[in-house]
Amino acid sequence: MNPRRSYVAGTGLFILLGFVALAYLATQTTSLVNYQGGPNYQVTAEFLNVGGLKDRAPVKLAGVRVGTVSSIVLDQRSMEAKVSMTISKRYNEIPEDSFAKIMTSGLLGDQFVSISPGGSREVLKNNSQIINTQSALQLEDLIGKFLTSSGSSKSGG
Amino acid sequence: MVRVVELSSELSGKKIFERISLEIPRGKITAVMGPSGTGKTTLLRHMTGQLHGVSGKVWVDGLDVAALERKQLYALRERIGFLFQNSALLTDYSVFENVAFPLRQHTRLPEILIRNLVLLKLQAVGLRGAAQLLPSELSGGMARRVALARAIVFDPMLILYDEPFVGLDPIALNQVLKLIRTLNRELGITSILVAHEFAAVRQVADWVHLIAEGRCVASGTPQQLAHADSPWAAQFFGGKIDGPVPFQYPASALDEALGFVGPSS
Amino acid sequence: MKRLNKHSAIVDACYEIGATGWFLVVLLVAIPRSLRYLRETIRQIWFVGAKSLIIIMISGLFVGMVLSLQLYYTLSIFGGTSALGTVVALSLYRELGPVVTALLFAGRAGTSITAEIGLMRATDQLSAMELMAVDPIAFVATPRFLAGLISMPLLVAVFNMMGLFGGHLVGVNWLGIDNGTFWSNMTSNVNVWTDVINGEWKAFVFGAAISLIAVFQGYNAPPTSEGVANATTRTVVWASIVILALDFVMTAFLM
Ligand SMILES: Nc1ncnc2c1ncn2[C@@H]1O[C@H](COP(=O)(O)OP(=O)(O)OP(=O)(O)O)[C@@H](O)[C@H]1O
Ligand SMILES: [Mg+2]
Repeated sequence: MNPRRSYVAGTGLFILLGFVALAYLATQTTSLVNYQGGPNYQVTAEFLNVGGLKDRAPVKLAGVRVGTVSSIVLDQRSMEAKVSMTISKRYNEIPEDSFAKIMTSGLLGDQFVSISPGGSREVLKNNSQIINTQSALQLEDLIGKFLTSSGSSKSGG
Repeated sequence: MVRVVELSSELSGKKIFERISLEIPRGKITAVMGPSGTGKTTLLRHMTGQLHGVSGKVWVDGLDVAALERKQLYALRERIGFLFQNSALLTDYSVFENVAFPLRQHTRLPEILIRNLVLLKLQAVGLRGAAQLLPSELSGGMARRVALARAIVFDPMLILYDEPFVGLDPIALNQVLKLIRTLNRELGITSILVAHEFAAVRQVADWVHLIAEGRCVASGTPQQLAHADSPWAAQFFGGKIDGPVPFQYPASALDEALGFVGPSS
Repeated sequence: MKRLNKHSAIVDACYEIGATGWFLVVLLVAIPRSLRYLRETIRQIWFVGAKSLIIIMISGLFVGMVLSLQLYYTLSIFGGTSALGTVVALSLYRELGPVVTALLFAGRAGTSITAEIGLMRATDQLSAMELMAVDPIAFVATPRFLAGLISMPLLVAVFNMMGLFGGHLVGVNWLGIDNGTFWSNMTSNVNVWTDVINGEWKAFVFGAAISLIAVFQGYNAPPTSEGVANATTRTVVWASIVILALDFVMTAFLM
């Protein structure tokens, strides 16, 4: 082979390797891994307080990731936070009266939406709303409750 | 072909030329001679537009070199071959690629044609066998000949040879002389030859300019100059140490520099 | 222009910064002309980029390994070792990948660019090109500049990948963190845009700065052995300072 061509091939290989590495980092080590490809449907839920929940936070059912939070906006009418979630079409038999709760992974970890299934025959569809919700537990509130409950014997839930 | 008119020039404040004028006729071989350090290389660099004078003009093929735009200057340079005094081969490229360099940069010739052209030029300087060597593997004289092959590979209209005979053995010298003559006689290439070897120069040159102290002190055919009664020519071609041409680079008196005499009181 | 030694170092530095900035303009203007010499740019990517791969890969591996080790002990103080994957990846992508690669690149490729161009000037090769009607800015300077610009982001990606591999090796295989925890914690906290891509932006800017400095120093080196040697030293000094300063500025404004 023409020696003038060999470094051209080597350079091509180097550039290819660089791009492969970059593509690997970008798609396999970041939150893109959790990107829900394929068909999915939208569900909303209103919370009194979303705490530290962020866009793209996971939505889990029984600990299994079923979707992601796609937007969080304030509903001016009810003065509640309206959280939209994108759920994969694979999970299309979640009961309509399920319970959505904002939980924290670990003591100081990120927050996510946890869904506890209800007992209804009806299932969640595109654009349905989850009625039963529980806001994020605020650490400050917890501590406050703990302090007051130590005076009285009643414990706060 | 080349006309230098009243050119004055300085390099870092040092005056090199003082209103020098000379003319290089088209289609002829003209030698420029003169003591070492008078500015022969500098003169060639004026002709290629690498240096600009303080005043005066240099015309090459009807163009005022100092006034050219970059593009025009580069177009002009494509038609000029230049043999560097120190060869200046591209050290990263083989001998073959060095000679092929101007062809590759300025033409879209097919590879086979480039190959043949380059090998022919290398054959002409007797180095076809060295085509795959690197410049660092060449002797000084071989490097000169490669540089020569590179300067002529384009068959330019004008070739500037800065000391083409340095480091050549008598056989190579004759070969190069023949080459310079052939290029001129058969292709009509105008040639400017800077050299110190008068014996070699008189075999090929049609005309000789002798420059010294920033001026052109004598001009004529080699025969005329050899027998001229100008004191410059007489001294230079006779190789005499005493005469108007200084051998020493301008300096203070020797005995003073060596400390035998105190600075003039 | 003659530079006077009596001036303070600050004046010298200002002169150098100004001249380098001006040289950047010259290089950018020459980019369209240098497209004719695409082959030369490719050749320079080979010398500058591909030939730096080995050192970059080995360094990346060790940096990732030591990072994992150090962070593991720090995190274990707070009982947060499950976040090891995240902190290793973030440290690499946002900071150590671009900066360490840039410093290595300055030492490995920057110096050789400076020395090469300086030597070409000293042996009249640049003049020879000019006389063969080949513009040395377009043929020699710009391809090396572009090669640095293109190579650095690629090298940083490779460095980060090797670092992650090293970090995983130490964290999971040696210190015994659960493989699933390592990855899932990372993948839920590392963001493509703010972490991976912004890191690559840093790499791009560092690459431009290093190769600009290297080419400038080589191009303006005095044509003597000492001149070339000094220029090579200046390339490393200037490039290192500029990388660290730019890193601060970019971190403050970009991330
Ligand atoms: N860059 C420079 N700065 C200052 N002076 C220079 C420079 N280059 C050359 N000179 C001076 O210019 C004068 C002419 O130099 P040039 O190289 O033209 O001489 P030359 O006639 O070619 O000599 P030789 O026959 O030895 O090759 C010399 O005296 C030299 O000292
Ligand atoms: Mg000379």
